Amino acid sequence: MATVLEHKARFDELKLSARVFLANKTAVAGLVIFLVFMGDALIVQIAPGVLGVTYPNDVIPPQFTQTNPECDNMPPEPPSLSHPFGTFEYGQQGIGCLDLLQLVMKAIRIDIAIAFFIVLVGAAIGTLLGVVSGYVGKWLDEVLMRVTDVFFSVPFLILALAVGYVIGRTLFNMALALIIIWWPLYARYGRSLTLTTKEATFIESARASGSGRLKIMFRHLLPNVLPPILVQISLDVGTVILIFSTLAFIGFLPSNVLVPELGAIANFGLDLAPLGFWWTVVAPGGVITLFALAVNLMGDGLRDVIDPRRRS
Amino acid sequence: MSDALAIRDLQVHFHTRRGLYKALNGVNLGLRRGEVLGIAGESGCGKTTLGLAVMSLLPRNASIPGGKVIFDKKDLVNLPREYSERVGDRFNPKENERVLRRVGKAMTGIRGRRISMVFQEPMTSLNPVLPIGFQVAEAIYVHDPALLARRVLSRSKATPALLKELMALLVATHGDEASLRKFAAEHGLAGIEEQALFIWNRGDIHISRKEKAIRALSGAPVNRAELKIIEVVARTGSIPPQYARVPVLSRIVRRVLIKEGYRKARELLTSLGIHHAERVVKMYPHELSGGMRQRVVIAIALANNPEIVIMDEPTSAVDVTVQAQILELVKRIRTSVSASFIVISHDLAVLAEVCDRIAIMYAGRVVEVAPTDQILQKPLHPYTQLLISAIPTLEAKPVEGIKGDVPDMRAVPVGCAFHPRCPFAFEKCHEIIPIDLPHGNDQLVACWLYEAK
Amino acid sequence: MKLWVYVLRRLILLLPTLIGLTFLVFALEHLGGTALILAQYIDPHLTGTARQQLVEQLTARFHLNDPVYVQYFYWLAAILQGDWGLSTTIRQPVTTGFLWFMPNTIMLTIVASALTWIISVPIGVYSAARRDSILDQGVRVVTFTLYSMPIFLIGYALFLTLGTGWRILPSQFNIDPILLPTIPRAWFDDTNSVSYPTHILAIDAFLHGDWTIAWNAFLHVILPSVALALALLAGIIRILRASMLEVLEQDYVRLARAKGVPERLVNNFHAKKNALLPTVTSFGYLVSGLFGGAVVIEYIFTFKGIGWWTTFAFLHQDVAVVMGSTLVFGVILVVTTLILDILYAFLDPRIRYE
Repeated sequence: MATVLEHKARFDELKLSARVFLANKTAVAGLVIFLVFMGDALIVQIAPGVLGVTYPNDVIPPQFTQTNPECDNMPPEPPSLSHPFGTFEYGQQGIGCLDLLQLVMKAIRIDIAIAFFIVLVGAAIGTLLGVVSGYVGKWLDEVLMRVTDVFFSVPFLILALAVGYVIGRTLFNMALALIIIWWPLYARYGRSLTLTTKEATFIESARASGSGRLKIMFRHLLPNVLPPILVQISLDVGTVILIFSTLAFIGFLPSNVLVPELGAIANFGLDLAPLGFWWTVVAPGGVITLFALAVNLMGDGLRDVIDPRRRS
Repeated sequence: MSDALAIRDLQVHFHTRRGLYKALNGVNLGLRRGEVLGIAGESGCGKTTLGLAVMSLLPRNASIPGGKVIFDKKDLVNLPREYSERVGDRFNPKENERVLRRVGKAMTGIRGRRISMVFQEPMTSLNPVLPIGFQVAEAIYVHDPALLARRVLSRSKATPALLKELMALLVATHGDEASLRKFAAEHGLAGIEEQALFIWNRGDIHISRKEKAIRALSGAPVNRAELKIIEVVARTGSIPPQYARVPVLSRIVRRVLIKEGYRKARELLTSLGIHHAERVVKMYPHELSGGMRQRVVIAIALANNPEIVIMDEPTSAVDVTVQAQILELVKRIRTSVSASFIVISHDLAVLAEVCDRIAIMYAGRVVEVAPTDQILQKPLHPYTQLLISAIPTLEAKPVEGIKGDVPDMRAVPVGCAFHPRCPFAFEKCHEIIPIDLPHGNDQLVACWLYEAK
Repeated sequence: MKLWVYVLRRLILLLPTLIGLTFLVFALEHLGGTALILAQYIDPHLTGTARQQLVEQLTARFHLNDPVYVQYFYWLAAILQGDWGLSTTIRQPVTTGFLWFMPNTIMLTIVASALTWIISVPIGVYSAARRDSILDQGVRVVTFTLYSMPIFLIGYALFLTLGTGWRILPSQFNIDPILLPTIPRAWFDDTNSVSYPTHILAIDAFLHGDWTIAWNAFLHVILPSVALALALLAGIIRILRASMLEVLEQDYVRLARAKGVPERLVNNFHAKKNALLPTVTSFGYLVSGLFGGAVVIEYIFTFKGIGWWTTFAFLHQDVAVVMGSTLVFGVILVVTTLILDILYAFLDPRIRYE
């Protein structure tokens, strides 16, 4: 039962946190950019026409070749006023004059969705396992440590390739492969947080008052472990998009189908690259960079808020 | 006789996100030559800040809006103060950092050489990745490499015959330093006297062993290349640039001199009561206990025979037995070393043990300063009186705390900072800051109660 | 000699991880079914009865009809004997391929790491010492941007600008294809493009005194290494800078200043030594990304190393290589981490003199 004074204190702390965050101009810039991205994702998903996007789920609108015969074998064009990111040529059939900006806008929402999916699921599984293992300890903990060690022993890109090879090269499986790579990080992190919190007095008092282990874990441990985990999640969204777009870039997804995903688009661009059509790689790559930049800036701002030393 | 250190009206402000903390609000204090001055007060009264300000070791978000710290006729804080006066409200820690770098350069001959400081936490004061011997040797190497060079040279030139004469002289004059130095100079052995005296003054070995040790000072093998470099250093008093810049040569110079520094470190540590110094010197800080680490830090502070030594809470981070040892050490040091000391502590009992005079600080000002027994027996300022009555003693008396809290340094009370908690406060106290009023024998008190009518 | 005890302990802890690694790879293979395992040992050009016979042999050898745990041991036996299957892309045993391509990747990673450290340390230290100066702000902007860039973009940018664009440095393969016929067959196998004895063209040419080839091959290493180094150093500089800032707040740094040590020495000696320790630990976490990055960079620059080969194999259904690579990279990463741990223990006196 928090008293009025405690509520006021917490509110003051929140105000100070907000002030600290907003004082950081770059963090605010990051937030703005991030919101722009989210905005694009939402709009394309719900009302694509607003941004002039047609057929959000396809790279090529149906019957494109029939309606635009002049686009056959048309090489990509550099960025211009009518095509801010230039145009794109797709596939062995050589279907050209596809607006890259539109393609990128479609791809953004898919990338963001995948990123959140991977991080949230990976964090959920990992944190749960980590907290339980950290609290229960003994052999369960040892087993978890060894298992995570094994997962850490293979460079993640290679592991993703191997997993992808086995379970199939689709977009969803790519996300799955990355979840498999991601959960050990959160297991370790959740575990270490649990280990430090577990010795805290309020846990002891809960135990002394007879609470069961499960109850302690969920009612007391988890709420304390969650805030740093959430911060880590917000930072990881940026990192994970870098990783899976790179995976797509080296060809995780089969090359005969182009999925609107930024890394995959860049991969197509690379094949055209020695011919000098740089925008096909730089545009999607640059967009990924911008997103990761925004997330990292926000993350720095959040760290300023959380770290007590940097607050003053 | 002028003061060794004079602090006039010093103000220090800390600029933080939570507000402007006025840590020092016009401190007036004089350190007399050869005395041990204690500074007492509760946490937050500014005593550590005062020590740091004298050493110019304040963090970059500290500004000095006014005041002077006069040492050897120079104001040590004029650069930061001028910056503060220039920018006023637009104080910028990032700009201040540049000012502090200039201050650092200005303080090169002073810090560690003429004024040195011992910090509060012995556990974290030493660099964990460097051996003890190095950290002590470095203190000397940085300021006086010629001393180290002379020591090596003198040993290389000392013959057993000369050393026998030296020993005889020591016995005859009972270890008189001046005659020893004359002897060394006459025979071109400048630098040997220090080493010989150290052995002579040791209280833990028999005289026959001392004789053996002194005779062992002869003929240190030094190769020709090193010898040449060392001679240059000894002659010119510092490492000449042509050696300092060339990578290979500078390394050789450093190695030889630091090695000698290790020897001197052994001497220093032994004189501070560390046993088996030759082993300690090779160890790392985490292998030593808190008490030993504190002695090492004191050794570093004393290594260059400074004029002023500031000790910040030398006993607070150690347990009671070590506390007693350190206090004994301080008392012993002050008789053998000709420096003036400032001892900062919240514990009046500690200060009572070693200090000649004690200054009481409250809310960034000195409220009373007087000789130790007078402060303890006849405290004048109400705050001092309450502090002293709050010390638990062996007599059965009620221990009273002081009502109220230390003020928030962002909003120091107008007038006398103590007036909200003072049982004797009257109208003038609410309005005007008390000035230092002389009273009795060598006592200064900042309280309107003592204003002569 | 407490260090030896530490090394021994770490080596022993290595075993469960290595065993677990084999479990992981085996699990992946098994998930793909017997077809996957068979595909690794059968030459795809075999047909008909010869193929049937081989399938039966392999089924017997790997006990593919027995329960999983039995299969594991026979699979492991084959691995330990050095039979990792056939690569369809080079028509050689997988192990031969590793021998050919590994040295190039090792050279790439070592050169990139060396470049990273040489650049990062002075910049990181200076940036922290001159906090918020113009240089520091510039460094922060640049490293932050690099850190947010996907590694393929960094590689591609270099590929495009210095490589195919302005043609300052070569950007594809390990050597100009024009020169290939000129390499003496005494130490170069032209059917497989492999040089002897070290399999690194630049070094082998140097050893055999062929300066033109050596120089050309050396030039081909530059862009990929720089690309990889750029990706790495963004992370290292950030960590080093943060570590330095923390160290500079410490009591012992204040004591060094109080001692009168000049500011330059305080930063470059007292602070740096302490700041480097957590940076080495963090580098250990980054090594996984280093190898992953090598894969991407080799792919972009067509630099014939294990990374390139793995990607190539992946795209061409050469399953033996993909699985083999996972195992190999795992072992390398584990060993590298061990070496770094030992290095750290050696550098930190608190661990060395426990």
